[in-house]
Amino acid sequence: MTGLRRLRGILWLLVAIAAAGAAFLAFGPRFAPANAGEAIYAKPFSLVNQDGAPFTQADFLGRPSAFFYGFSHCPDVCPTALAEMSAILEALGPDADKLQVVFVSVDPERDTPEIMKDYVEYFDPRIAGLTGELDEVTKMTRDRYIFFEKVPTEDGDYQMEHQASIQLVTADGRFFGTLAAEEGFEVRLAKVRRLIAEG
Amino acid sequence: MKLFVTIALIGILTAGSGFAHDFTQGSIYLDHPMIEEAPPNAPVLGGYLSIQNMGDTDDRLVAIESSAAEKVEIHRSTVTDGIARMQPMKEGLVIPAGETVWLDNGMHAMFVQPVERYRAGDEVPATLVFEKAGRIDVTFKVEERSTGSGAAHEGHGQ
Repeated sequence: MTGLRRLRGILWLLVAIAAAGAAFLAFGPRFAPANAGEAIYAKPFSLVNQDGAPFTQADFLGRPSAFFYGFSHCPDVCPTALAEMSAILEALGPDADKLQVVFVSVDPERDTPEIMKDYVEYFDPRIAGLTGELDEVTKMTRDRYIFFEKVPTEDGDYQMEHQASIQLVTADGRFFGTLAAEEGFEVRLAKVRRLIAEG
Repeated sequence: MKLFVTIALIGILTAGSGFAHDFTQGSIYLDHPMIEEAPPNAPVLGGYLSIQNMGDTDDRLVAIESSAAEKVEIHRSTVTDGIARMQPMKEGLVIPAGETVWLDNGMHAMFVQPVERYRAGDEVPATLVFEKAGRIDVTFKVEERSTGSGAAHEGHGQ
């Protein structure tokens, strides 16, 4: 009998814990939504676009944007990401005007504005291709919590390791979310549409 | 004599395969070598294919040669914890007996400094060098890049 009573006690305890949990969720502190963070994309930087013209945070703030960080000596991840963004711009139709797509070179030593021009405009001339001084690219990316690193190869050349996902940014410069290559096209498109609607 | 037979066999097999775009030599069967079209001045091109080892001993892809590029490297690309990395496969690529290895997402042949601009529809010659099966001449067909939006790029096996 005592065993049964103890079991009943334990069960009531579990009910109490569940009730406390539900109350915490309902009345407890609100967790900030993902897009309520600091406007990291509004932090100042000065790079150049594919026409060699200065490009700063002021050139994309005011409408939602999608940033990708890569380099031209990249055979798969980077061209695929840009091809996917160009497909998204196409699928958006007239709404594409509401989104600024930006490709930032993390290999500015090799990626000149001329190279960036051919590179991004092959995918879509609406994409801004940024390069500039290595120090400035480093500062710009660190401010936005973007990882990249130069890795020497045995033949004296080097590779770049870099953030793989596309960063979605609200019109006022807050991080909104990411697009990853593993996601289906429809998922990525839906995320971008939500960014345009909400961001 | 053995070499002659092999060459004759390749001739018969490739002639017979028509549009299938595959290559066989010894125990190695190579299917659908392709390169994804890249921007006009792209310094690197990614090449892909599947390699089947029909034999009962492991083989190894040790090198890829092509007159269409300064060099061709075999790479493994990974995205780990959100970071894209690329490593040359210095030991080559083992093709276990009886198995198929895809150079697809993850592994690729990187054509460094292509000698000219290649567009979808172009054909790029290359030679795959295997430890046991020897040198196999193939043609990489340049195709449009897949965007996952449903258009283009069919038949590239995964």
